[in-house]
Amino acid sequence: MASKFGEWIEDRTGLSKLLKTALDEPVHGGAKWSYVFGSGLVFLFILQAVTGILMASYYSPSSTAAWGSVYYLQHKTSFGWFVRGLHHYGSSAMMILALVHMFQVFIFGAYKKPRELNWISGVILLLCLAGFGLTGYLLPWDQKGYWATQVATNIMGTIPVIGKYIKILHQGGADYGNFTITRFYTLHVFLLPLSLVFFLFIHIALFRKHGVTPYWKMREDVLRDRVDPFWPDQILKDVVFALGMYAALAGVIFWTGGAELQAPADPASNYLARPEWYFLFLFELLKYCQGKYLIVGTVIIPGIALAFLFVLPFIDRDASRYPSKRIPFFGAVFSGLTGAVVLTVLAMHHDSRDIHIIHQREEAEKQAARAVKLAEKGIPPTGGLSIFLHDPVALGEKIFKESCIGCHKVGGEGGDNGPDFTNFGSREWVAELLKNPRDQRYFKETGLMPPIKLPDESLLDMAEFLLSQSAGLVNQNIERVERGKGLVLKGTCVACHPMGNKDMKKMAPNLTDYLSETWLKEFLRNPADPRFYGTRNKMPAFDRLSDSQLDALIQYLFSLSKDRTLVSEKQEKRKEEYVFGLTAPRTSIHFKDRS
Amino acid sequence: MENNRRKFLKIVSHSLGGVLAAGIAAPLVGLGIHPWLKETVYGTEDFINLGKLEDFPIGIPKKMNVTSSKMDAWNVFEGLVMGSVWVLRKEDNSLSVFSVNCPHLGCGINWGEEEKQFLCPCHEGIFDINGKVVSGPAPRSLYSYETKIENDNVLVNYKKLI
Repeated sequence: MASKFGEWIEDRTGLSKLLKTALDEPVHGGAKWSYVFGSGLVFLFILQAVTGILMASYYSPSSTAAWGSVYYLQHKTSFGWFVRGLHHYGSSAMMILALVHMFQVFIFGAYKKPRELNWISGVILLLCLAGFGLTGYLLPWDQKGYWATQVATNIMGTIPVIGKYIKILHQGGADYGNFTITRFYTLHVFLLPLSLVFFLFIHIALFRKHGVTPYWKMREDVLRDRVDPFWPDQILKDVVFALGMYAALAGVIFWTGGAELQAPADPASNYLARPEWYFLFLFELLKYCQGKYLIVGTVIIPGIALAFLFVLPFIDRDASRYPSKRIPFFGAVFSGLTGAVVLTVLAMHHDSRDIHIIHQREEAEKQAARAVKLAEKGIPPTGGLSIFLHDPVALGEKIFKESCIGCHKVGGEGGDNGPDFTNFGSREWVAELLKNPRDQRYFKETGLMPPIKLPDESLLDMAEFLLSQSAGLVNQNIERVERGKGLVLKGTCVACHPMGNKDMKKMAPNLTDYLSETWLKEFLRNPADPRFYGTRNKMPAFDRLSDSQLDALIQYLFSLSKDRTLVSEKQEKRKEEYVFGLTAPRTSIHFKDRS
Repeated sequence: MENNRRKFLKIVSHSLGGVLAAGIAAPLVGLGIHPWLKETVYGTEDFINLGKLEDFPIGIPKKMNVTSSKMDAWNVFEGLVMGSVWVLRKEDNSLSVFSVNCPHLGCGINWGEEEKQFLCPCHEGIFDINGKVVSGPAPRSLYSYETKIENDNVLVNYKKLI
């Protein structure tokens, strides 16, 4: 029955005959491990195609929807992170393998007559790969892709005369927007795949016509006498290689947790863009080509390198494939390679030591984690970026950076007129303040409060008590609170600081509800109030901030230490109105960074 | 001898190729069937407010838009019109809320003011004021929704057809 059906299919289609012709290709000189790279690339391309097609059914190409759809794919679907990881790391694997393949072809001299067109179609395929990398980077519409791609389109703009027009054509307008995504998407999923398949077909057809190019030392008689069939001898090696690559990819994906998705693209931010690793050398090159020499780095040097690759088979006409007979070409190719490697290493080296880059990477990771957290409640139709508009912590941070960072440090950044707010409001922060108010981190020599000479444990008890007065201290320790209460109320603190009645005035700030929302709010509004610093106050009043801005700022201050939660009375109330996760308090984010 | 070697190579190639294909297919299929595993589009409220009870005339069905929040994959839409229903307030202030779709093939039905019946324009289905089939091809009475009245507000569970 099965064989009858098989015969019927065979009779009508000639399928197995076709397969036989496709697979019975003789491999002259024998099947070799060194031939696996080309078929490895075909395997990776198919992997990219299937993962890409599947991801396309989850992706939405518009500037408002793209980030959200990738977020959904990455965080809400089963295996979405893995499939996206395959696609992401698969592209890097393809780039590596393509370079290995190309250098092997070069070293073996396989581009020589009659295989010139094979080489040229290969160079075009490499360009296609670069195009895939470039266009794919933008599609998630996250910070990284958005800003890195700006560099690429700006490079297009430096091409003399036509550059401006090419740039507008790629961007779909004078600036980035919906059409930038649709155009990059069209390039990435239609034009480039079609071109790649077209040139791949030519490349493989030419390869079949001319056969493998063995190691240059292989003798003619071996080449003639030893013939292995492609199937199964060579295919087994190819399959083993493909399996190895897939295992390696899966390993990398599990190791890294998949491809990164940063926070939604924010055109108002000043993100330091870095391209994917295989473009880093071009990026680094531009550092040395500035001003009117910019075009040297953007057009002239890459143009010369490309032109060299295209004409290589026509200038290296010696029939011999021995490397010793091709020294000038080896010199040219390997000095180009060395240049690219050196530039790449330089770029990585600079970035790994640049404090701004390091700081930004940490910041970007935090932002990404926060964006994911916020997106959980649904992204408004206005787009990924607008989730931040509903995030008081982000807004508070913005206000802090506008109004406070001139005097207060956070994480090493900012002025030092006022106390350092790193870890502000944590138990340690308060205890250290009690221990030495005139420390560099706190009030310096202007501090009037005497240091409290008690063991660290007792200081922590006092901090526990002071902080316990405001809602939102996590893991409160009742015993510590009681001990601290005793120390504060029976000690000398209350000689200067009023306690228990929030309107009472003495010479030092009122500590009733110390560092609570209301305390902070009233303090920020008027630090010179007799309840706080009175006439000794040095801090400007922030009464120009609106209620909601003050709320946001306080939420941000609360978020600076892990000891405080962001839940306040108002949010508790909002929790009651919470319907099906919709109006969930966006503010009660227990944000944890990945570290 | 040579023949055996080839056979072995073929078997190994097939098996390893199968392992590879399965390893690739598993996550792809897993991702592909995501809409079977998880709701991707859903209203986010159980009972949706349609308005005050006194806004509904007694004995005359009134068509009302159902407005609610909706999760659509990654997006949340607040105040989105999700559809409409026929609301009938009876003498005793109890409510019937009918689906606007004919149980035959889903055409939108109208209230015939003169006939005092629900009329489906597609295949001349006719339903009485309580949603019972009077004539036409419909296999059952009109679909309705669970409702309740809270603080004089009419609430309808738009998620579940009865």
